[in-house]
Amino acid sequence: MQTAWGWLPAIYLFLGGMGAGALLVAAAFEFYGKRYQYDFCPTALVGATVPGPLVILGTLLLIFDLGAGRREPWRIFYMFTHFSSVMTWGVWLLTLFIPVSLIYGFLEILDAFPAARQWLRTRRWLRWTAFLWNLPLRRTKRVFAGIGSVLAVGVAIYTGILLSAVGPAIPFWSTRVLPFIPIPMMPVLFLVSALSTGMGLTVDLVATLAIGPMEQRVKSLPWIHMAFIGVETLLLGMLLITALVNGGSAAQSAREIIAGTHAVVFWVLIVLPGFIFPFVVHAYAAGLGRHSLVSGVGSGVGIVVAGLFLRYLILVSGIPAAL
Amino acid sequence: MEIPRLSRRRFLGLTAAAGVAAVLGVPLLKREASLAQERPKARYALIIDTTKCTGCGACIEACRLRNHLPEGVSYIRRIVKGNERNPRFLMIQCQHCANPPCATVCPTHATYRREDGVVLIDERLCVGCKYCMQACPYQARIFDEERGVADKCWLCLPWVLGGGLPACVEACIPGARLFGRADDPQSEVAQLIASGRAKPLHPEFGTDPSILFYVIEEE
Repeated sequence: MQTAWGWLPAIYLFLGGMGAGALLVAAAFEFYGKRYQYDFCPTALVGATVPGPLVILGTLLLIFDLGAGRREPWRIFYMFTHFSSVMTWGVWLLTLFIPVSLIYGFLEILDAFPAARQWLRTRRWLRWTAFLWNLPLRRTKRVFAGIGSVLAVGVAIYTGILLSAVGPAIPFWSTRVLPFIPIPMMPVLFLVSALSTGMGLTVDLVATLAIGPMEQRVKSLPWIHMAFIGVETLLLGMLLITALVNGGSAAQSAREIIAGTHAVVFWVLIVLPGFIFPFVVHAYAAGLGRHSLVSGVGSGVGIVVAGLFLRYLILVSGIPAAL
Repeated sequence: MEIPRLSRRRFLGLTAAAGVAAVLGVPLLKREASLAQERPKARYALIIDTTKCTGCGACIEACRLRNHLPEGVSYIRRIVKGNERNPRFLMIQCQHCANPPCATVCPTHATYRREDGVVLIDERLCVGCKYCMQACPYQARIFDEERGVADKCWLCLPWVLGGGLPACVEACIPGARLFGRADDPQSEVAQLIASGRAKPLHPEFGTDPSILFYVIEEE
C-alpha cells in the first residue's frame, strides 16, 4: 500500500472533481436553456458560484500538503515550469479555472439578483466600473461558462491522469480502460464521477432544499442520473476486472477492494450510498412521477459522500509494483 | 435581449471532444518526450551480486552514516526474497535510470539526470509534493520530513568524483558490490555487464536503469 498520499490528496482530488462537475452542470443548464425556464434557477446559481470556492479550498489543501513548498511558498512558482509533469498541467489548469469560475459565478449572481446589480451600479466608489455595465450580461456570462467548461473538463480529467501517469510504479492506478485499449481508466472514471458528484451537489442536494425536487421540473433528470450511475458502475466494474486480469499488484489492489481490507469502504461507503441508493430512489421516483425530499437530498448526499470515498479508496488501494 | 443558443448536441459534442483529446494527448506527449532526448551512456556502474549478498545490512548503515540520515533511515532498502531456508536479499536503492520517471513527473526541475548518468535532486527546487515517490517503480525515494524534500541515493557523487567509492561499496563485507567505470571496456564492471551476467533490475518497467546492475542466479 502506498503511504505517501492519504486523506488530504483524496479531499482535494474530490473537491477539484466536484467543482468542475458542478460548473459543467451549470453550463449545461445555461446552454441548454433550462436556466431561463424559471424565474430563479438554484441549480445554475449554485453550479456557477461554488466551483470557485471549492477549487480554491482544494488548492489550499494541496499547498498545505506540500513539504518545502508550504514553508517556502515561493517555491510553488517553480511548479509552473516543468511541462512533462502532469502536476504542472494541473497547476496551470487550477490557476486558470479559479478566476474564470469566480467571474462566471459573479456574473450568475448579477443575473439572478437584479437588486445586486442595481446596488453595485449605484455605488459612487464603483463609478469607474461604468464601462462594464454596458457589456451584455448574459452574453459575457456565456463566454465565461464556455471557457469554464473547457477548463472544468481539464481539471476533472487531470485528477485522474495525475494517478495514471505513474505508470508501472503503481499498476492499479495505470490500469487501462480495457487491456487492449491504451487509454488509462482513471481519467475517464474521475471525469464521470466529477459530473456525477457535480449533479448530486447542484441538482439533488441544493435545488431540492431550495425549491423542491428539480426532477419535477425537468423530467429527463432522473434518467440522466440513472444513466450516470449506470456508466459509473460499468467503469468501476471494468476497472476491477481489468485489474484482476492484469494480475500482480493491480489484482491485489482489486482483491483488497472487493473482499479485503478496503471492502467496507467500497461496499458500505461507496456502492451503497453512491450507486444502489440513488439508483433505486431515482428509478422509483421516475416510475411514480413523484419526487420527495428524500429522493433529492438523500441521493445528493449519498453521491457526494461516495465521490469523496471513491477518491480515497483509489488512493489507499494503490499498491506499488512488486520487485 | 437575444441570447445565442448553443444546442445541447453541440455542447455535449464539444465537451466530449475536449475530453477525448485530453485523454488521447497524454500518451502522445509522453512518446514525444521519450523520443526527443538521446540518452548518453552512463559513466559509472554499480553491480550488486545477489549470490554473494548475505543481507547483513552493512551497506544500509554505511549509507546512513555517510549521508547523516536519522536512525533507521537509509537510501538503501532490503527486500527478502526466496524461501525461509534459502533466502535471497535484494538491496534496493536509486537505479539511476536513463529514462527516470521521477524526473518526468517532477513539477519543478528538481530531479535531473547528469551527463554521466547520475540522477540527482536539486533540493532548493523541490516543493515536496511526493509525486516522484509515487512514480518510482523501485520505491527508491525517501522523504526528508525535516526539510520537506524528497531524497535518495546520489551515488556518493563527491567521493566518486574525487576517485573514491560510494559508502555502500566500501562497507560491503562479503564483497558483493562492485563499482567502476562503465565507459572503460577493460574495467571489471564493463566486462561483467558485457558478459550478460549483470543485468538491470526489472527492465520491463521501461525506465532503463543505467548505473545499478544485479547478478541474479536463475532458480
